[in-house]
Amino acid sequence: MNQIAERWAPHGVGSIFLYTHEAHPGEYWPHHTSFDQKLQHARALRDVLGVTRPILVDALDGACHRAYGGMPNMTWIINQSGAPVYKSDWTDAHSVENAIQYFVAAVDRRRAGETLAPFNVERLDLRNVDREAFYKGLERNGPKAVREFRAAFG
Amino acid sequence: MSDLRMVEGYNYDEFVPEKFEPGMKFEESPPLGKPAPDFSLWDLEGRETRFSAIWSVHTYTTVEFGSFT
Repeated sequence: MNQIAERWAPHGVGSIFLYTHEAHPGEYWPHHTSFDQKLQHARALRDVLGVTRPILVDALDGACHRAYGGMPNMTWIINQSGAPVYKSDWTDAHSVENAIQYFVAAVDRRRAGETLAPFNVERLDLRNVDREAFYKGLERNGPKAVREFRAAFG
Repeated sequence: MSDLRMVEGYNYDEFVPEKFEPGMKFEESPPLGKPAPDFSLWDLEGRETRFSAIWSVHTYTTVEFGSFT
């Protein structure tokens, strides 16, 4: 997702990471109990995980995250007028970049003189599943995070 | 729900279905093409901004919601 952000920035596409809550709290990265702690965790996204996009932090009660559906790793694309044009309940880089390509191309089509009107479309995209990498991420949070995920999903 | 209970419920302390499932309501999320809800957000230095101040800068803005895992 960082690479996609860099690739499309010259085409008028901004990208942010919105830090929500710890979906899998563990011994090393526990659940939030204060906003200062939440800010510290958010900084570690940049310093530990290498997120290069601007990181914004939601309120401690997750007001924004909850209003947008509360999924742990969703992606939305919002246009300059403030209307969402894409939303996915899970983040997949291929899906996101495919959508960006479409919308940037639509800007070019309008500039070329086409008259375009919005319509709704539903699509069931496919995401990469890498359970091994996911468990490594859980281990970073602590053994408790691994234990609880295995108990919930095996 | 009180503010404190909301904060505690949102920041659940263990990943068990009875604690994480109630917050997952994607089917109730805002529709496409309508004005998106605006909220306060903070940068890494704790400076407050607005979601609308972010999305109004570029033709399109991708927003990935997430945490460490």
